[in-house]
Amino acid sequence: MRLARVGQAAIAMAVCAIAAGACARRGPEHAPGTVQIDIESSPTSTDPRFATDAISSRINELVFDSLVRISGDGEFTGDLAERIERPDPTTIVFHLKHAVQFSDGRELTSRDVKFTYDSILAPGSMSAKRAGMIELAAVAAPDDYTVVMTTRHPYAPALELGLQGVVPVGTPLPAESIEAAPPGTGPFAMRSYRRDESVTLVRNPYRTTPFDGAREILFKVVPDPTVRALELAEGICNLSENNLEATVLPWLERHRALAVSNTPGTTYRYLAFNFHDSRLRDLRVRRAIAYSIDRAAIVNSMLRGTARLATGMLAPESWAYVGDVMSYGYDPAKARRLLDEAGYRAGRDGMRALRFEFKTTPEGARLAEVFQAMLKRVGIRLEVRTLEWATYYGDIQRGNFELTSLQWVGIEDPSYYYMVFDTAMAPPRGSTNRGYYSNPEMDALVEAGQRTLDPAARKEIYARVQKLAALDLPYVSLWWVNTVAVLDRDLRGFEPYPNGSLRSLAEVTLAAPGGAEPAQ
Amino acid sequence: MIRYLIRRVFALVPVALGVATLTFALIHLVPGDPVVAMLGDTAAPADLAGMRHQLGLDRPVLAQYASFLAGLARGDLGESISYRQPVARLIAERYPATLELAAAGLLVAILIAFPLGFIAGAKPGGAGDIGAMGFAILGISVPHIYLGPLLMIVFSLDLRWLPLTGRGGIAHLVLPALTLGTALAAIVARMLRQSLIAVSSSDYMRTAIGKGLSRRAALLRHGLRNALTSVVTLLGLQLGGLLTGALIVEMIFSWPGLGRMLISAINARDYPLVEGCVLTFALTYVVVNMATDAVYAMVDPRVSLK
Repeated sequence: MRLARVGQAAIAMAVCAIAAGACARRGPEHAPGTVQIDIESSPTSTDPRFATDAISSRINELVFDSLVRISGDGEFTGDLAERIERPDPTTIVFHLKHAVQFSDGRELTSRDVKFTYDSILAPGSMSAKRAGMIELAAVAAPDDYTVVMTTRHPYAPALELGLQGVVPVGTPLPAESIEAAPPGTGPFAMRSYRRDESVTLVRNPYRTTPFDGAREILFKVVPDPTVRALELAEGICNLSENNLEATVLPWLERHRALAVSNTPGTTYRYLAFNFHDSRLRDLRVRRAIAYSIDRAAIVNSMLRGTARLATGMLAPESWAYVGDVMSYGYDPAKARRLLDEAGYRAGRDGMRALRFEFKTTPEGARLAEVFQAMLKRVGIRLEVRTLEWATYYGDIQRGNFELTSLQWVGIEDPSYYYMVFDTAMAPPRGSTNRGYYSNPEMDALVEAGQRTLDPAARKEIYARVQKLAALDLPYVSLWWVNTVAVLDRDLRGFEPYPNGSLRSLAEVTLAAPGGAEPAQ
Repeated sequence: MIRYLIRRVFALVPVALGVATLTFALIHLVPGDPVVAMLGDTAAPADLAGMRHQLGLDRPVLAQYASFLAGLARGDLGESISYRQPVARLIAERYPATLELAAAGLLVAILIAFPLGFIAGAKPGGAGDIGAMGFAILGISVPHIYLGPLLMIVFSLDLRWLPLTGRGGIAHLVLPALTLGTALAAIVARMLRQSLIAVSSSDYMRTAIGKGLSRRAALLRHGLRNALTSVVTLLGLQLGGLLTGALIVEMIFSWPGLGRMLISAINARDYPLVEGCVLTFALTYVVVNMATDAVYAMVDPRVSLK
């Protein structure tokens, strides 16, 4: 009798739940013609003058155009600029396209460009972009369609300065603005920004929309990777890029409505050494570590083929790439020999008097354990220290580590070699040469690379840089991470970029959900 | 009672001060730097220093503490370092979502716990008791991080009754609230059972049964109200657990609440925002416990608040 009542209560609750659920299914989550993309966290800023994180960049480049842009094959191409001149080594002249309009109808002129750069360069701007523009001395607007940039020194990677998204003159600082985002000249305009929930983009009314092109893009914040996978499987989400776990890819591949795209990327993962450690200053020890890591096995099993074995920081997509450099295949016997030569003989248990601390974040802990097991095979003990991100990052930037593994994202120009390997960029003066690597030959090369404007001569310099880096091994090059996108088969025309850009969303069309589950 | 409440409100001041001080000390003690987190890899040391100066982070910690307290006294929580917006505005944006979730979780807990606890307590050792307490053990044992996705798969993916994630209408609230409320329901059900068993042997119950009421009716009319005191205490105390549980549930269900903002603030070492969030959580906890005391007086005439 009592149990019967429990049963009744349970049925009543279930009916309530069905009723509530039925109500929820009636209102569609987004309109037809909307592409939903799940992202792992909110963009930190919708103002391109301030945003530096990857998600903000991905979204902002759909809303804001810049003077130049990086194409799918890694080349600089004009965006707002139709023509670029370099009359002398410290001057770049950008001739702007005419009749370009912001999403509020205003026409773009050189004054908008100058305003954008000036508001970043202002000493009190508190923009994280300022540091990257340290070489930029001034931006002038001699007429409505000409922008002249002057650099402090002859500066080879100067075109990178033109990658800044442009906002209209007079745009207030984010804290003083009530708009979702400033207007831009890009294919989309931001309609709403709800922190930690979603970002909605609509078409820029002053730009021609391709026939059938997606009318709206909804970026929905879904922090849990399993839930992102579920939303794709369910047809709620149409696209997820570079934010799914490799282990769920085979499961997603089995869904007929989904396509998994796994294409080369430029994000570079490396193992870093600290050169303040005398044991690691010994090239034989560094090489032994390189030989004892079975990169191919990691890429094939743990990463499920979503990466390419790297020869250096620059990926083959770069114009300056050189592939015939010293490489380190998996060779534990060679590693043992090198360690013996370096004076670290194995004890009776096969272990040597070599113990390193390997710092990592919780996300990197699995990889760290793989390294630990692989180094143990040659007699090196690795102590894995897992730290929360901010603590870890602080330690790495101060050079407070022995071994660690990190990645560089968005390597477009070989001038990054200067930041990463030049003696002057080591802490405390800089923070990007975190392992205190110092080699006069490398310094001379990367400094020359910064000043040399002639493309052929630059290419030659960076060929030598890449060969030297592989020989001298300040980093063990691990792999280049692929761009992995899982998308709805109804989504046509999506082109993955090596750097993860979503720029092709301007051209995609979303076929009517024929047969597929309509978006919930 | 009014005077009592006024006194309690004044007692909030030292609590708030303590929480604020502790949070301030902890977040400044742990390594990590908001400016480095914000400006990133490539920032020049001069820019880092400049920004530290602009934010006042280069001043002695005690001076920073003093101005933090001065702001607090004026009701000013400062400006978030990473969002560049007033902390109070950010919290006001997110707090309703967390409160909504916690309240729904509490409601679910009560809705599940009361029938279960009553069934179990009415006839200890019976089939209802064994079933209800079995459920209670299960509820306590299954972690949110597992229960959440499980409910999603069953109710959203297989049965398609409910939306998967996000905040919207009542339907969006059902799964997160169930996830959050189940564990609490289990604890409360056990507590209610114990209290009911305890009051069953009291004189007034024997009198009521002697006057012809059935055992169940006597429990319902006289026993339950007396058993409630301990349950209300428990609910008040467990609210802290509900708020911290909400943190995980917010992550799983993409719920735009305060917990998620706190986590990202901690990662960015956004000092003012961390302080604001923790203070909000702490004050919620204290206020709810104050309210619990007031509820005592209502359910139990023997308790008078002075």
